[in-house]
Order: sequence, then structure tokens, then C-alpha cells
Amino acid sequence: MTHPTDLLSAFLDGELESADHAMVANHLDGCASCAVDLEGISRVRDWVRGLPVQDPPIPLLPALRAPRWAWAAASVAAAALAVGLVVTPAEPEAFDLDTLAGQHTARVVVSPGISSIRGPVSGP
Amino acid sequence: MNNAVPTWEEVARDHGRRIYNFAYRLTGNPDDASDLMQEVLLRVRRGLSGYTPGSFEGWLWRITRNAFLDEVRRKKRRPTVALPEDDRSALGSVPAPEETLAESRLPEHLQQALLALPFDFREAVVMCDVVGLTYEEIGEATDVPVGTVRSRIHRGRKMLRGMLE
Repeated sequence: MTHPTDLLSAFLDGELESADHAMVANHLDGCASCAVDLEGISRVRDWVRGLPVQDPPIPLLPALRAPRWAWAAASVAAAALAVGLVVTPAEPEAFDLDTLAGQHTARVVVSPGISSIRGPVSGP
Repeated sequence: MNNAVPTWEEVARDHGRRIYNFAYRLTGNPDDASDLMQEVLLRVRRGLSGYTPGSFEGWLWRITRNAFLDEVRRKKRRPTVALPEDDRSALGSVPAPEETLAESRLPEHLQQALLALPFDFREAVVMCDVVGLTYEEIGEATDVPVGTVRSRIHRGRKMLRGMLE
């Protein structure tokens, strides 16, 4: 007897063509071994599908926030601004500067088009 | 099928949590999952202008998968990320079967077992059972035939069963 072992998951998921689905169903009617396999696969599938849904630890909207490495870069930039250095972002579109600046102790106002900032920055 | 091109805000609102959960189950690490989710949303925002209405799920999850692989390469020195090339060495971290009888700890043990799967199997199982993609959508996202998807999901589940029962 040829066991359709590799088709059991697809059978369980309803991902087989109708002819293959019928063939596996007929086989399962007379094969206890494959029926046990199907039961085990089904149990594992239920476990994975039952894993608790995780909520992102940060808000998705409204602003797209930068990855942590960009936060580190932004922190360095803020420190540079605080001592009067010139900073020119390499990829200004990569993160929302207002959002980043708003969450640091230094508050910076940036007008559109400005590519460099000079002078000290005061805290809130 | 709705062929309208979604806005970035719609993608973030409707798919952000699924992207995060995909990343979380692949990495087992909330920090890495957060970074990946943000990277994916950045790429989606950049790519939406060039998106041609069609299989949005395939497009989105191909971006997600590529972003994940890029993140893994970037962070390959971090021990908390399960690397595709380190899959086999992670097998030793799976709990003993008798320990898995504790129902309350099943999610934790299942997560460890997922991380012990070879990457292709883990990815296919997570896309199917966590994200809820069809085999065809998984094939589009991972650029393999549906038959390969079918095999990966089945072998992945069998390996999970072997580790947990």
C-alpha cells in the first residue's frame, strides 16, 4: 500500500485538488496509520495556530518610527546639535525627525529644506 | 479580489500586527520583531508607488521575507536571532518531551521548537499557520512552487510533532 503521507498537511489545509483530496480521504478510511499521522499533524497545526497573538510594543501609526539603530544615530545627532556642530542627515527620508526629536530631552525645530543646523539647542 | 492599491497607512493598520507576529515567531525576539516590522513598513512605503495591482499578499510578504533575511544578515552576530545557517545547531535547545506536558508552557516550548526548525520549514509553517497565507501566496512570497510549499509545511509540522510529543 502506498501511503499519501506527504499530502496529509495539504489535505488538512484544504489545499489539494479535488481528485487528490478524494484519494486521500478514501485512503484514510482504511489506513489507521495515516489516520494517526493526520491526527498528530492536526494537533501540531492547532498548537501553532493557537499561539498567542503578540501586540507590537510600539504604535504603528501615525508616524513611522525608525529602527533602533537609527535611534542610536539620532541620539548622536542630537548630542552633536547640542554642542553646536553641523549635522547633515544622509537619508533624511529614512525617519521622522520630528518624532525622534520629540522623544529626546532636546527639542529642535526644523524647517523644510534646511540641510544643516547651527547653534545650541535648549531643553524643554 | 480588491485590486485597489492600498495606502501606506492602510497597510500599516491592516497588516502591521501580522508582520510583527511573523517576525516574532521567526526570531522569538520582540526587539528584532519590532525592528523588522518598521523596516518592512519603510520598504512598503517606498515601494507602493511602483506596486502593480495583483497579488498584494504575495508582494507584501515577499518584501517582509526579504527584509527579514536582510535583518538576519545584519544582526548575524547577535545570539538571540535564529539564523538560517545556524538552524541545526539550535536543535539542542528544544525541551525534553516530558516537559512539554505542562500545557501552560506550551507556547514557550513551541516557540523554541519553531526556532529549531530549518529556516525554510519554519518560514513556511509560520506563513501558513501564524500569518494565514494560502500555499499559493507562500509560493509567491518565497519564490518556490506550490509543491515545495506543501512539502515544507508538512515536514515542518512533522518535525515539530517529533520535538514536542
